[in-house]
Amino acid sequence: MTDTTRAALVASPIGFLFRLSEPRVYMTLAALSLLLIVPGVIDSPFIIHIFVTICVFGALSTAWNIVGGYAGQLSLGHTMFYGLGGYTTALLIQHYGLTPWLGMWVGAAVSVVVAVGIGYPCFRLRGPFFSLATIAFLEVIRLLAIHFHGFTGGSAGLIVPLKIGWPWMIFQEKFNYLIIAFGLLVLALAVAYGIRHSRLGYYLTAVREREDAASAAGVSNSRVKLQAVMISAALTSLVGSFHAMYLTFLEPASMFSLSTAIEVAMFALIGGLGTVAGPLLGTILVVPLAELARGWLGASANGLHGFVYGSVLILITLTLPGGLVGTFGPWIARLVDRLPGTPKRAEREAPALRRISGTPGEPVLEARDLVMRFGGLVATDNVSITLKRGEILGIIGPNGAGKTTVFNQISGFLKPTSGRVSLRDRSGAMVELSGPDAFARIGGVGRTFQIVQPFGKLSVIENIMIGAFMHHHGVEDARASALRVADVVGLLPLKDVEARNLPIGDLKRLEVARTLATEPDILLLDEVMAGQSQADTRKMVEIIRAIRDTGVTVVAIEHNMQAIMSLSDRIVVIDSGKVIAEGDPKAVVADRKVIEAYLGEDFVDAQGH
Amino acid sequence: MDVPVQLILNGIMLGSMYAIIAVGLTLIFGIVRVVNFAHGEFLMLGMYAVYLLSRYAGLHPYVSAVPVVILLFCVGALVQRFIIQKLLGADEHIQIFATVGLSTALVNLALLVFGADLYSVQAPAVRQSLPIGSFTVLVGHLVILGAAIALVAGLHVFMHTTPLGRAIRATAQNRTAALLMGVPVERIYVISFGLGAACVGLASALIMPLYPVTPTIGSYFVLTAFVVVVLGGMRSMYGAFFGAMIIGIVDSLSGYYIAPDLKEVVYFAIFILILIFKPTGLFGFGRGTE
Repeated sequence: MTDTTRAALVASPIGFLFRLSEPRVYMTLAALSLLLIVPGVIDSPFIIHIFVTICVFGALSTAWNIVGGYAGQLSLGHTMFYGLGGYTTALLIQHYGLTPWLGMWVGAAVSVVVAVGIGYPCFRLRGPFFSLATIAFLEVIRLLAIHFHGFTGGSAGLIVPLKIGWPWMIFQEKFNYLIIAFGLLVLALAVAYGIRHSRLGYYLTAVREREDAASAAGVSNSRVKLQAVMISAALTSLVGSFHAMYLTFLEPASMFSLSTAIEVAMFALIGGLGTVAGPLLGTILVVPLAELARGWLGASANGLHGFVYGSVLILITLTLPGGLVGTFGPWIARLVDRLPGTPKRAEREAPALRRISGTPGEPVLEARDLVMRFGGLVATDNVSITLKRGEILGIIGPNGAGKTTVFNQISGFLKPTSGRVSLRDRSGAMVELSGPDAFARIGGVGRTFQIVQPFGKLSVIENIMIGAFMHHHGVEDARASALRVADVVGLLPLKDVEARNLPIGDLKRLEVARTLATEPDILLLDEVMAGQSQADTRKMVEIIRAIRDTGVTVVAIEHNMQAIMSLSDRIVVIDSGKVIAEGDPKAVVADRKVIEAYLGEDFVDAQGH
Repeated sequence: MDVPVQLILNGIMLGSMYAIIAVGLTLIFGIVRVVNFAHGEFLMLGMYAVYLLSRYAGLHPYVSAVPVVILLFCVGALVQRFIIQKLLGADEHIQIFATVGLSTALVNLALLVFGADLYSVQAPAVRQSLPIGSFTVLVGHLVILGAAIALVAGLHVFMHTTPLGRAIRATAQNRTAALLMGVPVERIYVISFGLGAACVGLASALIMPLYPVTPTIGSYFVLTAFVVVVLGGMRSMYGAFFGAMIIGIVDSLSGYYIAPDLKEVVYFAIFILILIFKPTGLFGFGRGTE
């Protein structure tokens, strides 16, 4: 098999079959199968119960991790989906005799609807307030379940009709439960793995790290978070449906339990937030301890397992905030990689660059009479700028003149108080857009931030991939394309370094690289040379020229006069929110108003202009 | 006419209870910038302490307020010193997990030690009804209202006239600038967390004669206190005070006019609406999205 056909097969849905010879793949599958083999061999009801519980909580925690870990939205109300699944399934059996195999999907659909209804307004909340809102929603649902007791059975609870056999998901042979629980766990893990290694997974991490930088790279923050919560809610709900069949008894206090919601989140933290294997590992570590304690000590130990859980949680936050996988993962991965088998695959070749079409010199962006007021302050006062395809436009002006505010308006981060911005879309029509991600995706505007905004916990190459995903949906394509950009800006030797460890010069280049990877028509550079060494500045000038030569239109805010004068085709000078001069670099530097703005009237008089 | 007035009166009494707890929560959030998910468990600890002092030392709950406030101050200061302080630089979710873990551990510790039984103290004078015109209030409730007003007034004076109070306010406004001005920020945090916990110490002594204590009593009061804090704008103790009154009245009215078991649904709904549409709180004292 040649490398290319192999790569194509690996990327296909049955790809994992072709990767069985990789040590990481076969070791993972072997370890997972122990969850079935161990109880199969020991065959005691108590052991089977423990393993069912592990599979159920492992699956719940894995599903939670998609929202809580990948997207960084710490939901403490996730059991609402578990409960909704359980109740929907049980009520459908009771009233309509519908088999749980179908009922669980109805439950999942209900959960997805609720998740969207809750997620959409709540995702604008930050940190602890998001957690509090999810707790409040969980409480509301629990109280409603108690209140409408005619329908749900209320606090007295609901007993699942005991019809035994596969169609009813209720068994005398306990091992059958384990088979289903294991199936659900594998499903959750497969989905979590799939997301982690897809565009969605990278986007979620980007949004978690820095929302602004993510939208500049064309990511719609609310959309990716909603996708995450929908998937997570559906999985949680499916597990809840099964667990209700296993427990055969539902009551609001246990189906919509806050402490269970905390436990589920806790397992993920212990194992490693945002990792694929972490939640399951956390569950495997903690659940048997608690169950055994309960088994041995009985009622006299009421509260013991909760005390242990809480204490472990505090200890983990103090000692291993990365969790088991975050701390020991790389070390274990290195050990596994030493095992015999096919080594990891080679890098793929980069896909073709998107060609920039259109006539050089035609207007690509028109800003008309931009006025931006912040309270009483007028940050930009009737600024109009027309950008021509293929030029390098320099924007200069003293500190606080309003340059970055102009940038924010022509990249969609600020909506002007009055005035409008129109952009040429890819079909050639001038359009008006709203939202930074639309500016990036439809208008082809890429921007960097004056204060660098790296995704600190992602590696250099992953940072650039976030940009590359805009036009390359596949991970391999995005990676290849990102590697090419890294080469252009000279970051290739640093590609696997975490961004937070880079010095400022490299971070500035990373900003440019991530933006460049979106393959923009218009590149907005906000002081990319500030604080750079002479050598770095020269490098940057070369990079910008090379970018323009590929047909990209460049706008640069810069204080480094020498660099910007040699680079720009045209200069716009802004002072106190107004455009005070515009034109050829040589003419602009001689302009009296410009010298005044920078050096003051006295200086101009002394010069005898 | 009589029923609504009596209900509003009841609501204010209930609100003053929430006010004391919420002021403590606000102090901790406003100054240390940490949401203390274990706040309710501090209340629970305080109530058990009051119970033990009454049972074994024969102290009246109001007398035991003094040692319990000191005890809770120490608990809060220790939690800040040995847990929160170490996590101030960590990600926000780690801080949430730490206080959630503390909450879980404390609830279950109480369950382990005291079991799930209810414990109450005998203080008949506190439970006496006091006629005000054609309405009645409990003596204990009136004391709580007085204490809540005194607490806010006292904290106001403390914050605005003493050097320590000024240092605390400076730290709350801008941690870095305060540090540069020589304010020992870490010590201020320890003191502030202690003060926040001391407020629930006071609350526990006042509540104990009226409510029996169980391991889960904390979450009953504190979820409401969170609603109050959000309503009041997160950082302002005056906001917390008035927010508490509003929630108390909403609680009392909706319990009567809608359904007793749905009153929590009503104020959780308010909570969610405020969080989403007016994160600066009803009075615009702070910002929830920061």
